[in-house]
Amino acid sequence: MKKDMVKLGITLALFASVACACLAVVYAFTKENIEMQAEKQFNASMQELFPQANAFDKIQDLASSDPNIKFETAYEVKNGTIPLGLAIKAAGPSYGGTATLLVAVDLHRSIAGVEVMELKDTPGLGMNASNPSYYVDKAKKTTFVGQFAGKFLTDPFEVKKDVVAITAATITSRSLTKIIKAASDAAIAYMDQKMAAPPADSNASQQQNSQPQGIQPKAGGK
Amino acid sequence: MTMKKLYKVFRQGLIFENPLLMLMIGLCSAIAVTTSVSNGIGMGLAMTFVLLFSEVIISLFRKLIPSAIRIPVFIIVIAAFTTMVDLVMKAYFPDLSKSMGVFIPLIVVNCIIMGRVEAFASKQNLVSVIADSLGMGLGYTWVLIGLAAVRELLGNGTLAGIQIMPSSYQPILFFILPPGGFFVFSLFIAFNIWLKKKMEASQRTKELAAKKEAA
Repeated sequence: MKKDMVKLGITLALFASVACACLAVVYAFTKENIEMQAEKQFNASMQELFPQANAFDKIQDLASSDPNIKFETAYEVKNGTIPLGLAIKAAGPSYGGTATLLVAVDLHRSIAGVEVMELKDTPGLGMNASNPSYYVDKAKKTTFVGQFAGKFLTDPFEVKKDVVAITAATITSRSLTKIIKAASDAAIAYMDQKMAAPPADSNASQQQNSQPQGIQPKAGGK
Repeated sequence: MTMKKLYKVFRQGLIFENPLLMLMIGLCSAIAVTTSVSNGIGMGLAMTFVLLFSEVIISLFRKLIPSAIRIPVFIIVIAAFTTMVDLVMKAYFPDLSKSMGVFIPLIVVNCIIMGRVEAFASKQNLVSVIADSLGMGLGYTWVLIGLAAVRELLGNGTLAGIQIMPSSYQPILFFILPPGGFFVFSLFIAFNIWLKKKMEASQRTKELAAKKEAA
């Protein structure tokens, strides 16, 4: 009986180690590509939000006001040494699981833009949050996340008041708005602490010249 | 094993013993992913791949697997192939991998694979196992694509992401949601049973005619 158990254990261990070795090989092969894809997506979103950006400084100590909403990464976005704003990758619970958004904040303390990085939801309903051709405002062609562009960080961010909900996906709309709100609150706190110094202001006025091409078209959705 | 017998094994999975429509196993992921045709194709192919390789490996090693620990060994093999599919999809088809979400890793616990491995691959030789896994895999895939096509067309007005219905068409969201999935699925079951009965009847008349001729 005891002998049997040892034999069975060894057989199982053998199968497991062979499977493990095979997986290690596949993992090693695909690892680079998977990381590249994630980076590509991130860079594409960044480019969309901050067209002039070329440097990203990682921010470590960004606290979330809501315990359910986590900031995966946050960056101080710069063009050379001139700060452009903040980009916060925030994840929080939504209707179909965790949703991840990239929230960009400019130096005027308004939202420069929001990109959906990851969203699991009902196709045709909540999934419309990441659908580029679903408009909450058909006349102005504003998408759900597009409507946040240009909003001030101190705005109330309440669905059905200053945020238009996705039809038949109120839970998703509320959850995403909450994530954006949490990111804005953190951005205010960070800016109060670190970016209130006068040089930032003079840079901001320099900034204004280059802004119309970059951020203005998005703010049209306000 | 003659060609004819192999074909018979292969055909079982397509209609007579279709895993979804006749055996009715592995339904949850089938209803969940069939909201678009591209998802259906992706899931079907991923499933067929895992099914084929798991069955082949287990058939090859069937004499080396002690029956007391066969289930854990099966799970190790299936999980290894599923993880491979998941990694490859993430690396080369990121969009597809994103839209299927958690359902690719969940292939591990799909009863179709476990069922086929336990009931077929652990007892049969390599050639018939290949025929069986391809039959079951394709049987699964065609049902997924069919389900997804109906649901996407009626529920979203598109097919594989291409707009088919005129823009005046108001999509019937019901079909995209799970109840619509069950509704379409039940129609598929009815169709499959009708098809099976018809094929059996034609076979019987053929046999009768052959007998009469012989007499």
